Parts: sequence; structure tokens; C-alpha cells
Amino acid sequence: MYSTFFLIGIGFFISLAAWFLFIWAVKSEQFDDPEAPKYRMLDDDDEAAKPTKNKKP
Amino acid sequence: MSGSGESSPDNVQCDHCLQETNRKSAITVKIDGQSRFFCCQGCLGVYELVHSNSLDTFYKHRCDWQPGPPATNVKLHTSAFSDSVTITGNEQHIELLLAGIRCASCVWLIEKFLMKQEGVLSTRVNYATHKATITWASEKTSLDTILHAIRSIGYLPHPCHSRGATDLFAKEKQELLLRFGTAGFFSMQLMLFSAALYAGFFEGMEEHYKLAFQLISWALATPVLFYSGYPFLSSAFHSLRRLTLNMDVLVALGSLSAYCYSIAMIAYGGEIFFDTSAMIITFILLGRFLESGSRLKAGNAIAELAELQPHEALLLSGNGETTMVPIATVKTGDRIEIIPGDRIPLDGTVVEGEAEVNESMLTGESNPVLKKTGSKAFAGSFSMNGRLSISITGNAESTLLSRIIRTVEDAQARKAPIQGIADKTAGYFVPATIVLALTTFLYWKLHGGSTVTALMNSVSVLVIACPCSLGLATPLAILVGTTAAGKRGILVKGGDIFETVSKITTVVLDKTGTITTGKPSITDLHEYDLTPSFMQHVASLEAASEHPTGQAIAAAWLGERLKITQFRAIPGKGVSGVIEGTLWRAGSRAFMKQEKIELSPEHEASASALEAEGKTIVMVSCGKSLAGIIGMIDDLRADALPLIAGLRKKGLSLKILTGDNQGVANYIAAKCGITEVQAGLGPLEKAAVIRNLKSKGECVMMVGDGINDAPALTESDTGVTLGHASGIALESAGVAILNDDLNLINTLMESSSRCFSIIRQNLVWAFSYNLIALPLAMAGVLHPIVSALLMATSSLVVVSNSLRLRKT
Repeated sequence: MYSTFFLIGIGFFISLAAWFLFIWAVKSEQFDDPEAPKYRMLDDDDEAAKPTKNKKP
Repeated sequence: MSGSGESSPDNVQCDHCLQETNRKSAITVKIDGQSRFFCCQGCLGVYELVHSNSLDTFYKHRCDWQPGPPATNVKLHTSAFSDSVTITGNEQHIELLLAGIRCASCVWLIEKFLMKQEGVLSTRVNYATHKATITWASEKTSLDTILHAIRSIGYLPHPCHSRGATDLFAKEKQELLLRFGTAGFFSMQLMLFSAALYAGFFEGMEEHYKLAFQLISWALATPVLFYSGYPFLSSAFHSLRRLTLNMDVLVALGSLSAYCYSIAMIAYGGEIFFDTSAMIITFILLGRFLESGSRLKAGNAIAELAELQPHEALLLSGNGETTMVPIATVKTGDRIEIIPGDRIPLDGTVVEGEAEVNESMLTGESNPVLKKTGSKAFAGSFSMNGRLSISITGNAESTLLSRIIRTVEDAQARKAPIQGIADKTAGYFVPATIVLALTTFLYWKLHGGSTVTALMNSVSVLVIACPCSLGLATPLAILVGTTAAGKRGILVKGGDIFETVSKITTVVLDKTGTITTGKPSITDLHEYDLTPSFMQHVASLEAASEHPTGQAIAAAWLGERLKITQFRAIPGKGVSGVIEGTLWRAGSRAFMKQEKIELSPEHEASASALEAEGKTIVMVSCGKSLAGIIGMIDDLRADALPLIAGLRKKGLSLKILTGDNQGVANYIAAKCGITEVQAGLGPLEKAAVIRNLKSKGECVMMVGDGINDAPALTESDTGVTLGHASGIALESAGVAILNDDLNLINTLMESSSRCFSIIRQNLVWAFSYNLIALPLAMAGVLHPIVSALLMATSSLVVVSNSLRLRKT
């Protein structure tokens, strides 16, 4: 019987953490631009970049 | 989209950004044996990178939006940006609105390109709002360098004067997301315990578990009701105080009564349903969140349109000197100077100079208009080739452009009729429910029942009456319907729009660029010269011309070009040049008269006949004699006739409105068999025609594509625009056809009426559920826990019925 309440307590705190994470995400504007991130994965780090876009076209 | 597009012999389409670029300046690279053209190193770089990672499908899947006109011929005035810069220590920071962002790779390119510039510390471009946030080190680079860097890769920066309304709306949307997320989160937790309690109700459970679970449920439901549900509670409170009942009252009443009753039942040891109160709030917030999606962008498009109007003008003083001044200081009667490539900042009358001015953003007319002494010049249009000095006739608020902006803003603010209907219904529904609940309570109390039974039954009534499935019936069907339409390239920007499409009685079509191609094409050719290569000569001559008619002629000849010497373009008249030792001219009839070219009566007659049909004529002379007459018209699109036939089959009345002259309008109208035509209409007149139709009780759909259609698009019940349309038209219209296929308008109407019939089924279901369950609840047959379960089932039925719309 105590184990039930114990587990409920744990579950509650984990989900509370998830809720705070969600609030943080909204407040730090993570949801403001839902379009770009899926394209941003095509992005490459500068170090490994090809010899591109170096000069004015 | 991935193939190398050749749009005209001189221009090729960049394989990366789709911009047209001159064949000579284009970079040609062989990739996998195929020639690819690029307008710049940036595009080539991106293309290679994507290609080398085998991500070529990206080019097939990206948006189909066609590019707008290249912005590079417009001058940048850095000083207009300087007041939006903020300085912190050695760093400077600016927010810009970028015009010309068409797909996500544009965002990629801008960010990467700017980061390569020396001194730029960070760049972030928001794809949804087209806003760029740039930080740079003051001592290493300047704002000027950055702005020109952005322009050099083909995007036009605008100062981002933060418009209060847009910012406010963004904030509201964020808050809504927070409320909905919280509601969803706690409701899910709550369901866990409610399910256990439901099971306990039917199977029995130990008292201390029950009490603990009930207390936990209480704790979980509280934030949902008082934080997430706060907007409903406060709106309900205000509407009660003003005695104007709205739907929010019912929401607040349903959830609050279930909540309070449950608290009482904890003390009494009965059954609770905090989940009902949380569910009502969550579902209705979901509906609101889905609706709010597209509205943010509207504000930005208006801001972008407002930026068409320059902030500074070149003031001409009495002694002929010019100074750059903010437009706010320019007074009526002042004279300003316009240099080629500049946008005209204020409305006025030309007092000196001659130039061809591009007014397409105001009138929809694709041909440049010749402005000379005495002509009116409008803010936002730009001079293509000549200097003008203009006497100002008004201030920044009175220009045609700002009147258009205001009309669009007003119409958008006014548009929320569906909400009105819901509130009107609520006006009857809410008091009826309250009376029913009270009656139930009194009946049971007076007929010997205990207070608990009486209370339980009246709460049942309130829970049953709560507009949960009723509230979901419409938005959900519309959501599924619009998503299905979106997959076919029809972007519908709101539920109410989708709903009104099915009630349309009149369809008003814009001519230029909507049912016609928007570009002149050759229809008639009279040759009087015996030279076998007439077209070759004319096309070679016109190839250097920037005028759309000239370009159309040049495009009609795909063969080899002849060499031209002494080329001259006379604004508003025509062009001349020497080919193989002979002087050739091509231009208007007036141009021929001025150059003393002899016109026989036969020539005059065929020219007049063409003009009577609304065609633009280009006369061509070789030496001193007339070589030929070319007749051109902005012709019907191939898919216009099937569209019109389809609309007519549905019994809709059709009408054409255009800013063009009567002749062209008649020609097009006759060709597609529409009798009602109005020509020569300005943007505000078009809107007035729509308003007039609406006042006669018609439900009007407007199909258009230009800025000049924007007021009419917002005024109409449903505005439909095409994918290649200007930004402001896209935003003022409720529906955008992205695939640029007119026939999708027929599809839109069909899927809308299908969606509407599903909505009707949903409503019938939701109402009959209420009608049957209410008397049962009043009779005390339904325990509140059963009515809560029934409510969930009813919502489920509505959901699954709506999902049928996915199969179209």
C-alpha cells in the first residue's frame, strides 16, 4: 500500500519536471518558429563546409 | 522543379532559388551529366552541399511558390534603419524584416552568408515571420555593409518597426500555448486517477485509496480550471455583469459546477468528476489554439506592405539642390526628386521629367506606365528608367498605398461573424440550461428528495448541457477538412472561411494574372515586308528592351539573334536599332507618326481593328516603310475555361472585375462566356463592388492575385488567391491555391460542401445527444458519473465522424 503512494509520488514529480520543461520551452520561444528546425538539420558546421558561398556572388 | 527551367532565350532559372537570371551572368555547372544554372555562388554552394548528401528530394518537396520580382533594382537607404539599432557595449543589434524569403533554404543561405561576413556575431532568421535578428561588433563592421551583404544575395531588408498589435498577438499566442499545454498535461495526469475511481465505482475500492485519489484529483484539476480556464472564467464573469450571455458562460458554468460539486462530494463521501471540468477546458482550449494559428502572419504581411512606402525623400530646394529628409517633414506643395530605381515615397503630380513607372503593386497592370508632366504618381510604385520631380499633394497618411493598407486592416479586424452566431445561440441556450438545472434542483428538493440527490441531478443537467461535443463538432471537422485540402495544395486559413465557401452564390474573378496569364502574348501578326525573317529581326531588336511587350516579342523567337547597333529605348514609345545597316523601329502608332513612317489606309485599318479588340499593337518599321503590325493580348490561362465551366455547373453567377481597359475586358469575357464585366476599376472600387453585391444578399467569393485585389479579397466572404500572388494578397485572402492550378477552386468547393455535411451530421448527433440525455438527467436516471462518461463517448463519435473527411 505504501509502495502505491510512493510510486504515485515519483510519477508525480517526474511529470512535474516535464511540465516545468514545457514552460521553459514556451518561455524561451522554442515553439515560435515551428517551420525552420526541420530544415535546419540540413545545416552543416562551418569547419566541415565545402568551398562555398565565400565571396559576393 | 529540379529540371533546368528555361523561361526565355536570354534568361534561365536558377536551379536553387528559382530566380530568373541572365544566361550570360549565370553560373553553369555540370552535375551528373546535366547542365544546371545558378544565379550566384551561394545558390551553387547550397545545391552542391544538398546534392552531395543525396538530399536532392529536397528540391522536389520544397514549396512551389514562384519568386517575386528581383529586388536588386531598388535602392537601399541605410539611414532609415539606423533608429532601429540597439547598442550594448561593443555590440550592435538589429531586427530586420526580410522580403524575398521563399523557402527554408533562403533562411539557411542568409544565416550562413552573414556569418561569413567579418564582425557578424550572430544571425537568426525566423522562417515563420521573416524576421532576422543580427548582432555585430561595432568596430569590425557596419550596418551598411551588412545590409548590402543581404541585398547582394537577393533579399531586401526592411526596417522592422515593431507594430504593437503584431507583438501583442504573438504574446497572446504564446500564452494560449502555455495554458493549453498545462491543461493537457494536468488532464492526462487526472485521467489516470479518474479511471481508477471509475473502476472503483463499479467494482468497489478501499476507502482510504478512494479518498487519496479524490484529493489528488482535486489538486490536479485546480490549475486546469483556474489557470488554463482563467480566460473563460473572466470572460464569463464580465459577460454576466453586462448581462450579455456568451458561450464562455456555459463553459465556465459546466466546469465550475462539476468542480464545486466534486469538492462537496469529497466531504460527503460520494463520487467525483473533476475530470469532466478539466476535459471541458482542455477541449475548448484545443479548439482555440488550432484557430489562432495563421493570424500572426497577417500582421507581418501588412508591415511588409507598409515598407513599400519609403521613409525618406529627396527634397528639392529652390536653388536645385537636393537633401535627404524624412517623409514626415515633407509638406504639400514641396518638390521631391525621384532617381531611377527609387520608390516614390508620397503621392503627387509630376512637374518635370519623364519616366516609365512600375505600378503593378497598386493597379495590377503589368505594363509600366509612362509618367510625364501633369501625371499623378503614387507612393510605393517605382521609376524604372527616368528622373522625375514631383510636387507632393498629401502626407504619408493620405497616400493610395496607406488607404489600401487601412482597408485591409479594418476588414481583418471586422471579420469574426461565426463567433457572433455562436454567442447569439448561447444567448438562448445558457439561460435555458440554467433554468432547467434550477427546475431540476427544485423539483427533486420539493418532492421529498434529499439535497444531495437534488444537487446531483442538477449537476448532471449542467454537465450534459456543456457544449463539449457541440464545441468540437465544427472545429474538428474543419481541421480535418482543411488538412486534407492542404495536402492537395489548397491552403485554407480558418474554419469560418471553409464553412462560407459552401454558401457562395457569386464568384467574382479578377482578370489580370488570375484568369489570364498576366503577360502579353502574340495573337496577330501582319507582315507587309517580304523579308523572310521578320520575327527574327523584331525579336533581336526587342531583346534589349525591358518593357514586358518587348520581352514577349523577344521570347517568341527562339532562333539565333542578329547583332544590333545604336540601340535606343524611348520611354513610352518604343525602341530602335540598326540591324545589318538598316534602321529598324518597333513601338506604338504615335512613335511611327513621330518618326514619319508612312501608314497606308490598309495599315491604319488593321491597327484600328486590333485596338478595337482590346489588343496592344506594336508597329515595326524597316527603314522608312512599315514592315508589320503585331497584335498582343494578355490571354486566358489554359485552366480558366474548365474552372468557369465547373463553377457554372454549380449554378453560381460569375463576374469579372479588372483594372484594365474595357476592350481587353470584353475580349476576355467573350472568350470565356461571362456577360457581367466591369473594367477600369481601382483597388477600392473593386472592394466597393463586392460590398454592393454583399448588400444585395449575395455570398461572394473573390479570386484575385495582386495588391490591388487585397481590399476586395478582404471585403468578400471568401477571398481566393493563387500561389504566385503578392504577399499582401496571400494574407488578405482566406484561401491560397499554392499549386497555381485554377481547377483546385472547384475541388475546394466540393471538399467544403463535403465538410459542411459532416459538420451537419456532427451537430445533429451532438444536439440529439443533448435532447435525449437532458430529460434523462432531469428525471434523475443518470448518475453524474454516467453523464460524464456519456459526454466523453459523444465527443468520441464526433471525432471519428470528422476523421472520415481524411479520405478525399
